[in-house]
Amino acid sequence: MKKTVFGGLCAILLGCASTFVQAETLRLANHGQAGIDAMKSTVERIEKKLGVKVEVVEYPAPDKDYLSKLLTELGAGNGPDLFSMPSTAAVADMVEAGYLAPITAEINAWEGYKNFYDVAKKLAVSPDGETYVMPYMLGIQEIYYRKDVLEKAGISTEQPKSWDDLLARAEEIKAKTGAYGLLFPAGVSWGSGAFDEGFQHLIVGSKTPQIVTDDGKLDLNGEGVKDVFNVYKTLIDKDLMPVQPLLGPEPWVIPKYEQFPAGKLVATTCGSWCYIFDWGRESKNPIPDVTKVVGTWTVPGQSGGQFVLANLAAPWAVNADSANVELAKKALLEIGSVETQVSYAARIGNIPASKDAASNPDFQKLTELVPIHAVAENGTFLKQAAGFGTVAEGVARATDALLRKEVDAAGAQKILVDYVKETLGDEAVK
Amino acid sequence: MAKTLQERRAERQLMIVLLPSLLLLLAFVIYPAIYSVYLSFTNEALTGAAARAPRFVGSRNYARLFNDAKFWNALFVTFVFVLGSAIIGQFVLGLVSALALRRRLMFRTLFSSIILLPNAAPEVVAGFMWISMLAGGDHATLSRIVSFFGLPTADWLQVFPLTMIIVVNTWRGIATAMILLTAGLSTIPQEIYEAARMDGATPSQMFRRITVPLMMPTILLYMLISTVSTIAVFGLVYALTRGGPGGATELISIYIYNQSFTAYQLGYGAAVAVIALLVSLVLGVAYVRAAKVEI
Repeated sequence: MKKTVFGGLCAILLGCASTFVQAETLRLANHGQAGIDAMKSTVERIEKKLGVKVEVVEYPAPDKDYLSKLLTELGAGNGPDLFSMPSTAAVADMVEAGYLAPITAEINAWEGYKNFYDVAKKLAVSPDGETYVMPYMLGIQEIYYRKDVLEKAGISTEQPKSWDDLLARAEEIKAKTGAYGLLFPAGVSWGSGAFDEGFQHLIVGSKTPQIVTDDGKLDLNGEGVKDVFNVYKTLIDKDLMPVQPLLGPEPWVIPKYEQFPAGKLVATTCGSWCYIFDWGRESKNPIPDVTKVVGTWTVPGQSGGQFVLANLAAPWAVNADSANVELAKKALLEIGSVETQVSYAARIGNIPASKDAASNPDFQKLTELVPIHAVAENGTFLKQAAGFGTVAEGVARATDALLRKEVDAAGAQKILVDYVKETLGDEAVK
Repeated sequence: MAKTLQERRAERQLMIVLLPSLLLLLAFVIYPAIYSVYLSFTNEALTGAAARAPRFVGSRNYARLFNDAKFWNALFVTFVFVLGSAIIGQFVLGLVSALALRRRLMFRTLFSSIILLPNAAPEVVAGFMWISMLAGGDHATLSRIVSFFGLPTADWLQVFPLTMIIVVNTWRGIATAMILLTAGLSTIPQEIYEAARMDGATPSQMFRRITVPLMMPTILLYMLISTVSTIAVFGLVYALTRGGPGGATELISIYIYNQSFTAYQLGYGAAVAVIALLVSLVLGVAYVRAAKVEI
C-alpha cells in the first residue's frame, strides 16, 4: 500500500516537473525547409541566451496552407508561441482577431531597431498605432526583364515611363519575338500573390494610390482600381501574358520557372529572391549570368513616376495567448538580429531590414542582394488595414474572371467590391 | 404484452453494447453536424474582427449562398462528377469486372488484383501520379500515347478538366463497385440461369431478365454508397486541380474548403456544408425508398 502511495506521489511530482519544464519551452512555427534552416543558428542562440528549450514545428510549406493551419490553431487557442506570417496583408486581420501580442514598447526600447529602415518600421505599424510584428526582412519587388532577349530583338531596355509605355513595350516584345511580353500574377490559384505580386505594383502608381481611407474603410470603387484591372485586361486580350498556366494548380511554375528562363516570357514582376532562387544559383533551371542578362525596371506609374514595392517578408509575431508572452517577446528580438536577417537573406533571398547588414561580411557575399539592400529605403507600400486578406482574395477572384475573359475591367472591379462587401459587410467598403 | 425479465435484460445488454458506438457517433457526427448548423447562422471567421467576436447573422449566409453563382456552379460540377464517375463510370466498369470475374478466365487473380490496385495508393499520391500522366508537354504519358497515333497533344487537366477528374475518380472507384456487385451476383442461384438456358434464353435476355432484376437491391445499395461518398470526394480532386481552372472542377467539397480555409469564412462555409448535407440526405432517402429496405 505504502509503495503504491509513494509511486503515485512520484508520478504526480514528475507530472508537475514536466509541466514546469514545458512552461519554459517555446514553440516556433516555421514553414519550408529554407526557413527552418535559416532559423537554425537563431534557435540555438535563443536557447543559450534565454535558457529555454525551443521546439521548431514544421508547418505545410505553401503559404496558403500554412496560413490556414496557423489560423485554425490560433482560433482554437493552441497556436505556437512564435510564428511567421507569409504576407503583410494578413497582419492587420490577425491583429483584429486578437491573435498577436503588441510589442511596441519592447521593440522601440531595443537597440537593434534604431538602425532598421524607416520603410520597415512604417510597414510594421498596425492601423491602431501599435507594432505587432518584427519587420526584420523586406520583400523588394520590381519588374525583371530579359535584357539579352530585348537587345537581340532590337527592343529598348530603357525604363518605361508610364503604363502606356510599359504596355507598348510588351506589345513590341510580342510582335518582334513572339514571346509573352509581361506577366502580372493573377487568378485564384496564385493565392495572395495576385495581390502581393501583381495588383499592388500597379495600384500604388494609379490615380487612387491607396485603398484605405482615413477612417479605415476600404476604398475599392476608385478609378485607380478599375484602371489597374484594365491593364490586366489589355495584357490578356492582346495575348501579352500567359493565361492558361495561371488557371492551373501551381500557376507560377510554367511562366516563372520554364518560360522566363527559356525567353518565352520576357518580363515579369518578381522580388530580390528571383536572382538567387527562381533563376540564379539555387534554381533548378538557372539562367547563366543572371544578373547580367536579367535587368530590372521599377514599375512605372499610370502617367509617370517610378515605384519599387516594399513588403514585410515573413514577419514574425508573438501569440497573444502564449503561455509565456514575455519570454516569447525576448526570443522575437533575437529573431530581429542582423545575424538572423543575413541567414534568411542567404536562404530565402529577401532583403535585411537593418542598415547594419550592409557591413556584415556574410551579407557582402550575397552580391545579388547588396545593391537592392542599398536602395531598399525607397520602397513604396500600401497603407495596411483590416480586411486586406479579404481584398487579396477578392483581387484573386476578379483577376481570375479576367483570365477567363468573363468580364471587363468594370466587371472585375464589381467582383472585388461585391466579394469584400459580402465577406466583411457593406460598412467595410467606402 | 409486458416484457419478460429476460427480454428486458437482453435489451439492457444490447444498449450497453451499442453505447460506445452511440457515444462516438454523438461526439464525432451528431454534435459537429449540429454545431455546423449553428455556425451557419453566424459570421464566424478564422481571422479579422469576426474571429474575435462572431455574431448571429440570421439567414444572411443562406441568402448570400442562393445568389452566389460560384455555389451553383459547384453544385452543378458535383452533379456531373457524381453522374459521370460514380453512377456511370464506376458502376458500368465495376459490373463488367464483376461479370468477367465470374467466368473462368486466365490470370483471374492477377486481373482482380490489378482492379484493386488503385485503392492501394493514397489519394493525394494517386492525384500527383495522374498529374504527371495528364500534364501538358510532350513528355507526359497521355500526350505521348496520343502523339504516337498522330493526334495533337494537350494539357489535359486544363483543356478537359471535368472529364479528366471523372476518369480518375472512375479509375479509383472500380474496385469498390466490383466487390459490392460481385457480392450481389453471388446471391443469384445458378439454377435460375440453368433453367433459363434450357428454355433457350440468350445471354442478353438472361442479363436483362434475371441478373439486373435480382441484383437491384445491391445496385441501389451501391448507388447510395457511391453517390454519398462521391459528393464528399475532396483530396483526389484537390490534389489534381485545386478546383480549377476557373472553377471548372470546383466540387461542393472544395468550395466548402475554399470558403472556410481560403476565404476564412467559417460561417458561410458551414452554410454551404449544411446544404451539401441536406442534398446527401435527400438522395440517401430517395435511394432507400427505391430499394424498399429498412435501415
